[in-house]
Amino acid sequence: MTTQLLMKNPEFYTIWNYRREVLLHNQGDRYQQLLEDDLKLLMGLLKRYPKCYWIWHHRKWCLLELVKLEKVSWAYEFAVVSKLLEMDTRNYHGWQYRRYVVGNIENEQSSKLESSGAPKSEVDTALLEINIKEFEYTTAQINKNISNFSAWHNRSNLIPKIFKLLRTGDGSKYPQTLELFQRPYTLLMHELKLVKTGTYVDTNDSSVWLYFYWLLTEKLFVEDLRSGENEMSYLDVLDEQLLMVEELNMVETFESDNQTENCWCLKTIILIKGLIQKEKEENDNLLTDDIKECLKKLIELDPLRKGKYLDQLAGKAAIIPV
Amino acid sequence: MEVSDQPSEHQFLKQKHIQYVIEQDSHKSYEYWLSEHLRMNGLYWGVTALATMDVLEANLPRGKVEEYVMSCWDSASGAFGAFPKHDGHILSTLSALQILLIYDVAMPTLDSEKRSQLTQFIVGLQQDDGSFQGDRFGEIDTRFSYTALSSLSILGELTPEIADPAIAFIMQCQNFDGSFGLVPGSESHAAQVFTCIGSLAICDLLHLLKDDTKLSNWLSERQVLPSGGFNGRPEKLPDVCYSWWVLSSLAIFGKKHWVDLPMLEKFILACQDGSDGGISDRPDNQTDIYHTCFGIAGLSLIDHRRYGFKEIDPVYCMPSETTQHFTKWKRVS
Repeated sequence: MTTQLLMKNPEFYTIWNYRREVLLHNQGDRYQQLLEDDLKLLMGLLKRYPKCYWIWHHRKWCLLELVKLEKVSWAYEFAVVSKLLEMDTRNYHGWQYRRYVVGNIENEQSSKLESSGAPKSEVDTALLEINIKEFEYTTAQINKNISNFSAWHNRSNLIPKIFKLLRTGDGSKYPQTLELFQRPYTLLMHELKLVKTGTYVDTNDSSVWLYFYWLLTEKLFVEDLRSGENEMSYLDVLDEQLLMVEELNMVETFESDNQTENCWCLKTIILIKGLIQKEKEENDNLLTDDIKECLKKLIELDPLRKGKYLDQLAGKAAIIPV
Repeated sequence: MEVSDQPSEHQFLKQKHIQYVIEQDSHKSYEYWLSEHLRMNGLYWGVTALATMDVLEANLPRGKVEEYVMSCWDSASGAFGAFPKHDGHILSTLSALQILLIYDVAMPTLDSEKRSQLTQFIVGLQQDDGSFQGDRFGEIDTRFSYTALSSLSILGELTPEIADPAIAFIMQCQNFDGSFGLVPGSESHAAQVFTCIGSLAICDLLHLLKDDTKLSNWLSERQVLPSGGFNGRPEKLPDVCYSWWVLSSLAIFGKKHWVDLPMLEKFILACQDGSDGGISDRPDNQTDIYHTCFGIAGLSLIDHRRYGFKEIDPVYCMPSETTQHFTKWKRVS
C-alpha cells in the first residue's frame, strides 16, 4: 500500500518513515530481497522525480541497511548514479549522490585491504585509483559542456586529494593522468590550457572563470610556483595569464557590435593585476590607476553590480576577495 | 489598493495575492491533497506572505490557524509534523514555531511541557560532528542546521554547547568560491548560503567569515540578464525564490546595493499571475505558495515602505516586528 501512495506522491515523508518501520521487521534473505526491491522501485521514481530529497534519502537508507547485512553493491550504485547524471548533467542531488557513493566505495576498499593486513601504500593506491577515475570523469563532463560548474567544482576538490594520495599511493595504472600530476606546476599548466580553451569557446561563461580564479589563488599551486623549482615563478604565470586575458579582451572587443570590452575579462584583469601587486609587495594599496580604470569601465558595462564597483573604488570593499 | 509608482510596467497585485493565499485551503484538488507533506511549510509561506503585506489577521484568523498548528503536534516524537498524524520533522517544527510566533510572540498555545519536548527533540537531532539530521532517519543537510538553530533561538534554548559544533560543521561547507553547500564537499548553492549565513547570524558568529567580499561577490553574480532575476548556481536559470535566498544574505552583510534592485523587482513582478494571483518561479509558469511567499518577502527586502509592507528580518524570514520580541542570543567573548 505504501508503494502505491509513494508512486503517486514521493514527497510524502511520513509514508517513507512508515515503510522503513515495516521493512525493519524483516530479517536475513527476505529483508535483503525487500531492500533490493525498494532500490528498483526508487530507480523508477528518481527518473520521474530527480529532485525529490526524500527519494534520495530513502535510497541511502536502504543501502546502509544492506551494508549491515553485508549485501550492498556500491558498484551497482555507481552505475545508477552515472546513468542519472547522464539524464541531467547538473542535477545537484545527482552530484551529491555520486560523491556519497564514491565515498562509500573508498571506505569499503580501504577496510577490505586493511583487514587483510595490506600496507598503507596499497590502501592509498586503491584510493588514488578511485579518485583518478573521478578526475577523468570530470574531464569528460567538461569536454562535453564547459558550462558544467558541478564538474569544475568536483575537480577542484579532487586535485588536492589526488596530490595527497600520490605521496604514498601508486598511480602507474593511469599513466596519462599521472603525467599531469607530476607536480602541482605541471597540472596547473594543463588546467590553464583547458581554461583558455573554455574562455575562448564562451567568454561569458561564469563557471570557467570561477575555476580560473581557483587555479590562480589555490595554495597548492602558489606554493609550488614560489618554490623556484619550476620553469616559471608565480609572477611569471600571473604575467602570462594577464597577457592571455588582455588578448582575449581585445578579440572580444573587436568582435562586439559596439566595440565594447568584455566584463569577465575586465574582472579577471583586476584580479590578476591585484595578485601581481601583492606578489611584488610594491604597494599595499591595490587601488592603482589601472585598476580604477577597469572598475570605471565595469560600472558602465556591468551596471547590475555597479554598487559593488563603486564600493571598491571608494576603498570600502576589497579588490581581491579572500 | 494597488501600488502605483512602480518602476516597471507591472503593478503589484495585492488583492489578487491575498485571495490566492487564502484560497489555498479551499482548493481541495488532487494536487492540494498531494502536497499534504508540505502543509505546515505551506501554511508558514501563506502566513508570512500575508503578514508581510500587513493583512494577516483580517484574512487568516488566528484561532483557526493556531488550532491547525496544534493539531499537527506529534506526541511520539515531541515535535510538529506537516499534517495531523504525520511524524514530527525539523522542517515542519520550525514552520509551526514561526506561525505561532507571527500571530503572538508569547506563543500561548505552547505550554512549558511541549517547549521542553521540542527542545529535547531538536537537540537530539544533533550529530557528533555538529550537523543536524532532519528526523531520526538520518538525512544530514545544512538546511536542518538552520532550522534547528532558528527553532532553538525562538525557544530561547540555544547554548554554546550546541552552537559551537553546529557552526564548526557549517564552516566546513564553505567552498573555494566563498559560497556554501549542503554538506562538506558539496557544490555551492544560493539556498544553502542563506541557511549557513542565517545560522552564523543566529549564533552571533558572523565574524568567523572574516571578510565577506568573496561571498558577497558570488551572491551578486547570481543576478543575470536579460531578466534581472537571480539564479541559485552559476549558469542556471533565474528563479523567484532566489530573490529571497540571495538578497537576504546580501542584506545580512549590508550589501543589497551590490545588485540591481529595480531589475530584480521587475523580474518578481513579471512572475505574477495576472488573473488568479500568486507568483511563479519564472514568468508565465504555474504559480505556487512557495514562490508567492519568497517573491513577496523579496519585495519587502527591496523596499517595504513603498509597498506598504512590513519590514522583513533577513535572518529569520519573519516580520522584524515579530523577531524583535524574542531575545537574540549574544555570544559573550
